Amino acid sequence: MSFKMEEKIISKDDLLKLCGDVIAKGHTLLAPGIAEYEQVKDVSQIRLDSSALPTKTSYKSYVFPKAEPILYYKRSKSDVQLIDVDVNGKKIVVLGAKPCDTNSINILKHLFNWDYEDEFFNLRQKHFVIIGLMCSSFDEYCFCTSVGSSPVSEEGSDLFLIPINEDKFALRIITEKGKEFIEPYSEFLKDGDEAKSNAVLESIKKPEVAFDSKQVHEWLGDNFENPKWEGIGNVCLSCAQCAFVCPVCHCFDLVDEDYSYSEGRRMKNWDGCQFGHFTLHASGHNPRDIQSKRYRQRVNHKFRYYVDKFGEILCTGCGRCSRGCPVSIDIKEIVSNCKD
Amino acid sequence: MPHLAEIREIIDESPDTRTFRLMFKDAGTAESFDFKAGQFAEYSAFGDGESTFCIASSPTRKDLIECSFKVYGKVTQSLQRLNVGDTIGIRGPYGNWFPLDELKGKNLLFIAGGIGLAPVRCVIENVLDKREDYKNVSIVYGARSVSDLIYKQEIREWKSRTDVSVIVTVDPGGETPGWDGEVGFVPAVIEKSAPTSENTAVILCGPPVMIKFTMPVLTNLGFKDEDVYTTLENRMKCGLGKCGRCNIGNVYVCKDGPVFTYAQIKKLPQEF
Repeated sequence: MSFKMEEKIISKDDLLKLCGDVIAKGHTLLAPGIAEYEQVKDVSQIRLDSSALPTKTSYKSYVFPKAEPILYYKRSKSDVQLIDVDVNGKKIVVLGAKPCDTNSINILKHLFNWDYEDEFFNLRQKHFVIIGLMCSSFDEYCFCTSVGSSPVSEEGSDLFLIPINEDKFALRIITEKGKEFIEPYSEFLKDGDEAKSNAVLESIKKPEVAFDSKQVHEWLGDNFENPKWEGIGNVCLSCAQCAFVCPVCHCFDLVDEDYSYSEGRRMKNWDGCQFGHFTLHASGHNPRDIQSKRYRQRVNHKFRYYVDKFGEILCTGCGRCSRGCPVSIDIKEIVSNCKD
Repeated sequence: MPHLAEIREIIDESPDTRTFRLMFKDAGTAESFDFKAGQFAEYSAFGDGESTFCIASSPTRKDLIECSFKVYGKVTQSLQRLNVGDTIGIRGPYGNWFPLDELKGKNLLFIAGGIGLAPVRCVIENVLDKREDYKNVSIVYGARSVSDLIYKQEIREWKSRTDVSVIVTVDPGGETPGWDGEVGFVPAVIEKSAPTSENTAVILCGPPVMIKFTMPVLTNLGFKDEDVYTTLENRMKCGLGKCGRCNIGNVYVCKDGPVFTYAQIKKLPQEF
């Protein structure tokens, strides 16, 4: 993008005032809560803690809902009437998004726009303003640096915050959308010092690089039939929590829900490639009939197929899937082992 | 949004396979709905969801769109309950098609098993409507038993033509006392009839087991993998390359398929 980044300073108090105004205008303000990104009703809820670990889930569901109607139908004796869905295009401001979340919508854009453009996704993402926050801590599951990102990555943010001290943030205007959003609040902004905030970014400890994604890509191409997959398949429960907490997993199902004989709706619901029924044919045949094939699909889709198709890894390195796995499967460890 | 279509006619092909002849409700859609032989669509039984079938009628006969389905799961059971005059939804056409333009001037050998005749039928009729563009046309069709044979009416029409050779076979034990066709599995019947591989393209659709045993026979007869066209039938939902079900490696069957040459299939990860 040709947009030239601008560096500003904003005090914490003014930032909260800004947030108060966003809420007062009736927009949705999301910020990391204890377990998930929560809708902020009162600015006193806002923590803006750069040392917090990623929440259990990302804000993916606000751009790609867990379940959403895509059409309504009405039936009379033998006739059917279809009714379009009005997509809610409300403005959503995400405050303090983790760098491992900020790029998720950009990664998903490829999928939802190749060939057929998904109007539901597009309308929602158009109304998103993402205010990223530098990340100053990590745990054993984090691996953003292995997938080409970092705790200080501005990728995907429209505005980016860097804590300078207790009550001040450097605010970087990254995109045109960010500039448009912040313009009405220019009274809160002072000119910033890029060198000073760069020094903060440089002082941040980053997770060690665990694997070389290019080598992994190559290994996956040569090792579709590797006994390693079987070992992983024996451990995995096929519960698909990994897909549901992932900021970029996007498989879905289409199902009809009848309210009554005469009315119903068609839903687009989250689904997961780890479920056995995901690829099950009506005839009983199943191309991914055992768990090892399904886990192989998960890793290949993220680190090979998506890269081949869209040039990006389908993973942000947030580590949520590993943190939440009931049987402690650690994707970082598995992908690091994708070598001979 | 699916297009709405009215069921104009229902044909019971076999005890478990049914054909719908469909007319779009919107005249504009009926006019503009354009497809090529081999493409598929998503058919809705509202209340129970969508199912993926090929478009079984030929693009050269556009008055009514046809689809044939075997009653297996929830959606096909729901479709089976519908009557003439009822409404279903159609989304499509999706996917690629058989390269009929490239095959002009060649002999064509159609091999189908069971309901695999549905995707092959639209190609056969397309070819018969442009008969002068192709050389010899032969059809080998097999099913488990006489009652499992579908498109009996169409087969009679093909047999009555002098410019098409038709062999119909049923598996041993599936014949009836009056059966006048072949008895034997499709690969064996092909081996016996020994079609020429010279300047010949094969269009092959049927159950995986039939394809598995037919391929070596074709190879022995001198057919090249790149001259054998078939379709893959992975489970699909969206038809738009998004929902994540039908991929084999980085190939989406709904976008890059369903039509592949056997040479292309051999290069894919063996997961279908």
